[in-house]
Amino acid sequence: MAERGAGDRGGFGRGFGRGRGDRGDRGRGGRGRGRRGGGRRDEEEKWVPVTKLGRLVKEGKITSLEQIYLHSLPVKEHQIVDTLLGGRLKDEVMKIMPVQKQTRAGQRTRFKAFVVVGDSDGHVGLGVKCAKEVATAIRGAIILAKLSVVPVRRGYWGNKIGKPHTVPCKVTGKCGSVTVRLVPAPRGAGIVAARVPKKVLQFAGIEDVYTSSRGSTKTLGNFVKATFDCLMKTYGFLTPDLWLETRFSKSPFQEYTDLLAKPTKAILIENSETIEA
Amino acid sequence: MGEVHIGLPGPWAENCREKADHYTTKIGGLPDWPIPEPNIKRELLYCRVCDGRLCLVAQVYAPILSTKLNIEERAIYIFGCPNQDCGKNPDSWRAIRLQKGDQDSEPNLALSNTLPSEKESFPMDGASNWLKDTLLMNDSGKLNDGSVGDKKLDDLARAFSEASALSSCSKKQNRKKRNNSSTRARVGRTTAEETPVPVLPCFYIYFQTNQAHGSIDAVSSFYSSLTLKEDVYPATDTDEEEKWVGETYEYDKALGADTTYLKFKKQMDTYPEQCLRYSYGGIPLLATSNSIEPDKCIHCGSPLVYELQLFSPILYFLQQAANASVACSADGWSWITLIVYTCSRVCTSYLNS
Repeated sequence: MAERGAGDRGGFGRGFGRGRGDRGDRGRGGRGRGRRGGGRRDEEEKWVPVTKLGRLVKEGKITSLEQIYLHSLPVKEHQIVDTLLGGRLKDEVMKIMPVQKQTRAGQRTRFKAFVVVGDSDGHVGLGVKCAKEVATAIRGAIILAKLSVVPVRRGYWGNKIGKPHTVPCKVTGKCGSVTVRLVPAPRGAGIVAARVPKKVLQFAGIEDVYTSSRGSTKTLGNFVKATFDCLMKTYGFLTPDLWLETRFSKSPFQEYTDLLAKPTKAILIENSETIEA
Repeated sequence: MGEVHIGLPGPWAENCREKADHYTTKIGGLPDWPIPEPNIKRELLYCRVCDGRLCLVAQVYAPILSTKLNIEERAIYIFGCPNQDCGKNPDSWRAIRLQKGDQDSEPNLALSNTLPSEKESFPMDGASNWLKDTLLMNDSGKLNDGSVGDKKLDDLARAFSEASALSSCSKKQNRKKRNNSSTRARVGRTTAEETPVPVLPCFYIYFQTNQAHGSIDAVSSFYSSLTLKEDVYPATDTDEEEKWVGETYEYDKALGADTTYLKFKKQMDTYPEQCLRYSYGGIPLLATSNSIEPDKCIHCGSPLVYELQLFSPILYFLQQAANASVACSADGWSWITLIVYTCSRVCTSYLNS
């Protein structure tokens, strides 16, 4: 109780301690490959998690995104991804284009922003946002991209030497009329793709791959989404090395409710003992 | 009617069992009843599922000050069960509305001499003009936190209100009642000391009126990770084949979150710490699109109107401050929002003597 009363009068959020200092630097939106921003601002510390998963992440009970992916928990707050991936996550605006709607008073123009985020090591996300101002669209798209971060499975083309460098098998993704097919490539082949999906694949951390596309790839929005869909499917493909039976583990919620349930009983017992003594 | 009041967290209470008055709006702590506690029916304060004592989650001073209806003495108390298993069960939640009856409008009290002082002064010792309505909240679609096998986080807790009938007595009975209530109060106090009431960590709420919607877009500029220092536009495409064509407006969508939730989150981000949202007769802020319409008031049958809703930052703050030896904890709960509807006719019922 003493520690509660000590510093809580003024800054409400600060009173609980900012122990989780592992935010690090974040990438920023804008031009170019990937930027690293410097310096935090106070507003960012004020993340008050809304979901239970957010609360667990803020407390530090969940240390990696993989725990979230393993149990297919929906990520509803982009700060979760920020906390877990931290400074490794870079983002880039792929395109800002005006979209128009015909109204009686003329045309209403809004801006649509396509942003891809990734850590070049197995996590990638794509965000699309429409807004009246460019800056709003970009910010919104970065948030949506972080909410959509997925794991990407990488494998080998031939000999299993070194780190995985290509897709584990041939996978295909579709969006609209565009289908994109990713084919494993030997080391050194590089990403053999058009400029736009190449960026997505680079952010995913795939080093070598052959691609083949079909459909109206002129609609680059669909092209990018088809590539992203393809990357999502890499972990959905059952290969022989996954034939071993899964050992199910407890979901983080279950694990931590049990953990939280135990100490209270222990402490109550201690209190009653001291009273009797 | 249309104005929305946002309840933001204020200072912590020095002692979570400290007394305030029924005009305070607070989270946690002990409820400040304007009438002595034994006057309240026992079953209202106990969980319907496990029969354990309920703890106060929120106490909101909610007067109605419109031209048609003027009830200054009105408060809403929201209770929840601290038991780990009950938190998921909608039946364990309860909301009680207490208000001071308008004596001119009550046919029963027309027989008694109405003292104007009774309206102005607010005696804490069993003024039986207090009419109490209990709102029983049924939460449907509560948050499943994975333990039952449902791994979805996306849930909404709704509260439905019902008023239960308790009749108030005439002045003569008032006197008798006062005597009775005082003796009962003494007895009540001793029993209360023996079985400690579970209490959540307590903090107070201050209200702010929601500012114009135009500022919502400005909020996302708080995130420095999203601000742009360089030129906003990406490099112009030099290749002729890469004209992006055929794009139209697209609604926001992410893997784990749909449009409704994203709009909800946008509103939450205007005040990230908001715990309470009060808007009598307004529109609730929903987090999922599968909303359930509330039933009618069980006593007068009139439709229910939205009054206030609680948000999950409350759970965050309570869990941060949880000190297991003193208070019970909010760990078993995992809702995103809790909505309270009240009777639109503000019907009242009388205390049974």
